[in-house]
Amino acid sequence: MEKIKNNALVKKVGFNRLVLCCVLLLMYVIFAILSPTFLNYNRILSALNYAYFLGFLSLGVTFVIATGGIDFSIGPVMFCAALISGHLLTKSGAPLIVSLLVSVLVGTAFGVFNGYLVAYWKMPSFITSMASMMLAKGIGSVFTATQSVSWPQSTQENGSFRMMVKVTTGNGTQIPTGLIVLIVASIICAVILNKTKIGRYILCLGSNKEAVRLSGVDVKKWEMLAYILCGMLAGIAAIAYVGAYSTVQPGMGDTFNNEAIAGCVMGGTSMTGGIASIGGTFIGVMIISLLQEGILAMGFQKDWQYVITGLIVLVAVYADVRSRKRSN
Amino acid sequence: MGEVILTMNGIDKSFPGVHALDHVNLEVRKGEVHALMGENGAGKSTLMKVLTGIYSKDEGTITYEGKEVEFSNPRDAQAAGIVIVHQELNMMNHLTVAQNIFIGRESMSGKLINDKKMNEEAEKLFQKLNIQIDPTEKMGNLTVGKQQMCEIAKAISHDAKVIIFDEPSAALTEAEIEELFKIIRDLREKQLGIVYISHRMDEIKVITDRVTVMRDGGYVGTLITKDSTKDDIINMMVGRVIYEDPKTQSNVAKDAPVVLKVEHLNAGKMVRDVSFELRKGEILGFSGLMGAGRTETARALFGADPVDSGEVYVNGQKVTIKNPMDAVKCGIGYLSEDRKRFGIVVQKTVAENSTMADLDHYMSGIFINKKKENEVAQKYVDSLKTKTPSVDQLVVNLSGGNQQKVVIAKWLVRNCDILIFDEPTRGIDVGAKSEIYHLMNELVAEGKSIIMISSEMTEILRMSDRIVVMCEGRKTGEMDISEATQENIMHAATLRD
Repeated sequence: MEKIKNNALVKKVGFNRLVLCCVLLLMYVIFAILSPTFLNYNRILSALNYAYFLGFLSLGVTFVIATGGIDFSIGPVMFCAALISGHLLTKSGAPLIVSLLVSVLVGTAFGVFNGYLVAYWKMPSFITSMASMMLAKGIGSVFTATQSVSWPQSTQENGSFRMMVKVTTGNGTQIPTGLIVLIVASIICAVILNKTKIGRYILCLGSNKEAVRLSGVDVKKWEMLAYILCGMLAGIAAIAYVGAYSTVQPGMGDTFNNEAIAGCVMGGTSMTGGIASIGGTFIGVMIISLLQEGILAMGFQKDWQYVITGLIVLVAVYADVRSRKRSN
Repeated sequence: MGEVILTMNGIDKSFPGVHALDHVNLEVRKGEVHALMGENGAGKSTLMKVLTGIYSKDEGTITYEGKEVEFSNPRDAQAAGIVIVHQELNMMNHLTVAQNIFIGRESMSGKLINDKKMNEEAEKLFQKLNIQIDPTEKMGNLTVGKQQMCEIAKAISHDAKVIIFDEPSAALTEAEIEELFKIIRDLREKQLGIVYISHRMDEIKVITDRVTVMRDGGYVGTLITKDSTKDDIINMMVGRVIYEDPKTQSNVAKDAPVVLKVEHLNAGKMVRDVSFELRKGEILGFSGLMGAGRTETARALFGADPVDSGEVYVNGQKVTIKNPMDAVKCGIGYLSEDRKRFGIVVQKTVAENSTMADLDHYMSGIFINKKKENEVAQKYVDSLKTKTPSVDQLVVNLSGGNQQKVVIAKWLVRNCDILIFDEPTRGIDVGAKSEIYHLMNELVAEGKSIIMISSEMTEILRMSDRIVVMCEGRKTGEMDISEATQENIMHAATLRD
């Protein structure tokens, strides 16, 4: 065991992430054995559909959790952004590109709001984001007069945004472009987290905010930026969501908070801040998406997915607590 | 004074690397107020922790009421009648006075708490002590003085026979101290044994019957208060042989420019009208007892805590320092007394900590230039002789002295000209200590200026060119190193107004 852990390649990728990859593969094998239809290409596409929007949410919240905070508003913010921009597109006749920008802007606005209150007014992120979760639900509902919004299909007018998620070729083959988009986004996020000043200060202040402040660093600015990034990615997640599922209903979205945070924690991001892994988040999201598809494929209720996700999160958090105890 | 109630004989206690108590004796009689004195770190608190069972002793005997005892925790000691009134009050502000006093042993009616009965019990206690406090008042609404009295009442309610006061007057006003003394005299009348830990020479003369002095973990002697003078006690407290050569004269040129001038700085209760100057190439020592306001002064100057009023000039220019960012821009670096909390980010590497304050200079475009960062970190690892396998090592894995060097490296990377070193050698072994001294001398030789806060007299006398002494948030003395002696520093450090 120690030998494997000290292997140079394993060290570079990270032992925990390798374990996570194994879990992902193992789950796929189990589902394939239990439910032969699982090997069907469409099943994989369906699982990926879930991973796209969840991936963006989870990437965003990774930055916030890295600061030692939490954002419980991302799911409803995603829905709020999809509702407002979809309403503008389908009811008010706004151009597609404007609608997409509005979606990102709505998400970013919530990020600025959360970030400002947490960083500058020192409000607890738990309560602040819970309040903005309700705000997001309410605003989305009010804006559309509690009507659900259906985004156009790919063959319809203004349906070209779906190329971001899926492209169907002439002979009917479906190419999961969303996966490429998500991988590129993950790489960009990983670079931001590990190679730039934003990421460096976010991780440092998550670990010991006071020491960073006493080094003459503008900790408020960097902390707020984490929330802004998170909000912006929730706005992008909205596009990924409607690209896969078309219809958004007002007053929903909270369950996605938990799944996005779960993906993040499973990936090895520490809830106390300071330690975060974008690669881990990516794999965590894949596990949750596969799980929810697998549960459906086997004909169980979605509730079973929550039970299993809950258990996996507990194991992941326990591993985090244990490893921190040892390092002390 | 009555018969002996408590004797601690030849108490010895070692921690890894520190001989904390070296065969210490203490004898307390019934109806006596016995002062326990010594500098910071002399071992007073450790001795009391051994007595009440927080630490176990290595050697020696404790005899209490004629029997040899060894308590395994403060609860046992309390049950036997030995109680500490702590300097920092352990009170729950949201509960009432009575609820606080009877916490953990509430009066019950069946399964429910009987608040009425507790209020009556508390009232009785207060009457016994002749103090006026409403038992139903919320603890948080009382003054610190009144809270302390509640703490005393709580001690009495445990049927205490020996009460230890750990610097009780530190946070009290003049009038409150008077009232405290009245209660202590009252307790003495009732034949309790009282141990009174304090730094305040004047109080010792007023309230105590005998004084036991400790120094560097050792027992120096016991005096009868009324037969001895203040100077006798001070001499016992500081009368050690100084094994580090003290500086005899300042190394700073007479015409060295003033790089930092602080005028009438006020910040909260602990920084009151502090003014001083720092010259180029100078080590300015800040001496004083615990809680004298030195760290608070440094933090206010650095912008870490809010300032009420006062002016700061850097190189003759008036500057406004509202937060650490401003201070760092002015070229001031602060090395905190609490490294782990305020100095380093332990879960990050040596390199990442080194460039923390100056990351802007280690960027290529929007990316951190890892190569340049590692080079500068390695440069300071070499020049400060930091012991670390590589600059990629997490700081948490380094020893205290090496962690301290990483913090120093952080400010050297930023090229700060004014450095505030707050207890730079606390918790550092002897070897690393002299390396840090050596480094400080090199820094001032290069033209940097250092403010060094230290509670160690030898450190102050060895390193400083000039010394500022503080007591209770005020500057109570300032002297050139050529005039400084342990006695006159200690005198200024206990100067109350």
